Amino acid sequence: MKHVTPTEVTSEARVKGPTRRALAKLQTRNKVLAAARKLFSEHGYEGATIRDIAAAAGMSTGAVFANFSDKSDLFRDIMLSDTAKLVGEMREGVARARGVEDAILKIFATGYAFYKAQMPLARAAFSVSWAPQDGELFRKLEPLGEIQQLMLEQLTLGVERGELGQEAEVKLRAQMLWDAYLANYRHAIFEGWSPEALQARARDQIRVILAGARRG
Amino acid sequence: MSGAGLRQSQKAATRQRVLAAACDLFASQGYEAATVRQIANLAGVSVGSVFTSFASKGEILSEVMKDRLDELYAELDQVAPHLRGSTADRLRSMFAIHFAFEQRHVQLFLAHLAAAYDWTLGPGATPYGRNLRLQELILDCLNRGVADGDVDPATDLQGVVDLLRAAYAWTYRLAAWENAPVEQLTAAMDQQICLIAKGFAPR
Repeated sequence: MKHVTPTEVTSEARVKGPTRRALAKLQTRNKVLAAARKLFSEHGYEGATIRDIAAAAGMSTGAVFANFSDKSDLFRDIMLSDTAKLVGEMREGVARARGVEDAILKIFATGYAFYKAQMPLARAAFSVSWAPQDGELFRKLEPLGEIQQLMLEQLTLGVERGELGQEAEVKLRAQMLWDAYLANYRHAIFEGWSPEALQARARDQIRVILAGARRG
Repeated sequence: MSGAGLRQSQKAATRQRVLAAACDLFASQGYEAATVRQIANLAGVSVGSVFTSFASKGEILSEVMKDRLDELYAELDQVAPHLRGSTADRLRSMFAIHFAFEQRHVQLFLAHLAAAYDWTLGPGATPYGRNLRLQELILDCLNRGVADGDVDPATDLQGVVDLLRAAYAWTYRLAAWENAPVEQLTAAMDQQICLIAKGFAPR
């Protein structure tokens, strides 16, 4: 039989105890997030209630509130993790791109493919972002800023490589690309466009936005 | 007046009162916060009678916007054929008219944008983006440009229409979130039109 000293027992308990509790808490959190994702997709942001989310997760509203301060906190958490993942995929796409136009197109296409299976969630996010109270919280979500930054970086690189002229107004162009990227979601949400159809439309739009900046 | 006629005119009067009250509430509180109950209270009618005329809050907003936009597009229909200059100039004039028209009702327009993604919109509602008048107007303008030779016929015109509509809608964020005056909105739009025009110019 292995001899265990009292100090070893306590140190082991000190390590294991909080870990197990943290793990249980994480599992609860994930269950709530999964239920919330489902209900936001089915009923939108306004239509989904904490009570319904708790019921769908099989727990009390109290247990939900132990993990999230309110509905907006929950929605924000979902958007935050999704968008962070999306930014990562966009960066991978950009790394494989040939030239500035292709890089921008890869950013667009990655977004449309990412949301393909969860357009209702994208719709809920658009709805919230125009809301007077909660809107600002979502519009200023850090990873969303990173996507805009990524577009700006690609245009700046295009200028450095000489694909675009020095007077390329990269800031305005990046802004317009971002607006076009978002506006195209409408076709997927309301008209059922496939990611491929969105991509074809986006290719022409990107060309139009960059045309005046091309060198020569 | 016959009984049926009287009922008709009462119904029309209720409808007008509801639309006027809704216009005020959407403009002051935003789309999400304004409730059908509040609209009914302000109009001095019951919630039930609101629902005999409208299926949903989204439909009320659509009707408010439709009444206002009918006025705007009636004006534009008259003006558009007489607009002069390049395609970019004509687009600038058209959007300047839009901004001037919406300037005292920016909050209402924002409510209109927010409602576009509302889950509870009935089939009777026409949210922003599904109003075909603006699309047709821009498309007419671009087609005239193709005929005049300052728009490349190879351009995906519908894609350009979408770009201009996106620019138009998002320019309102300057008003919503930065309180920008209408001159600033028009200037921001002009800049974007100029840039898009370089994209559709013939090579």
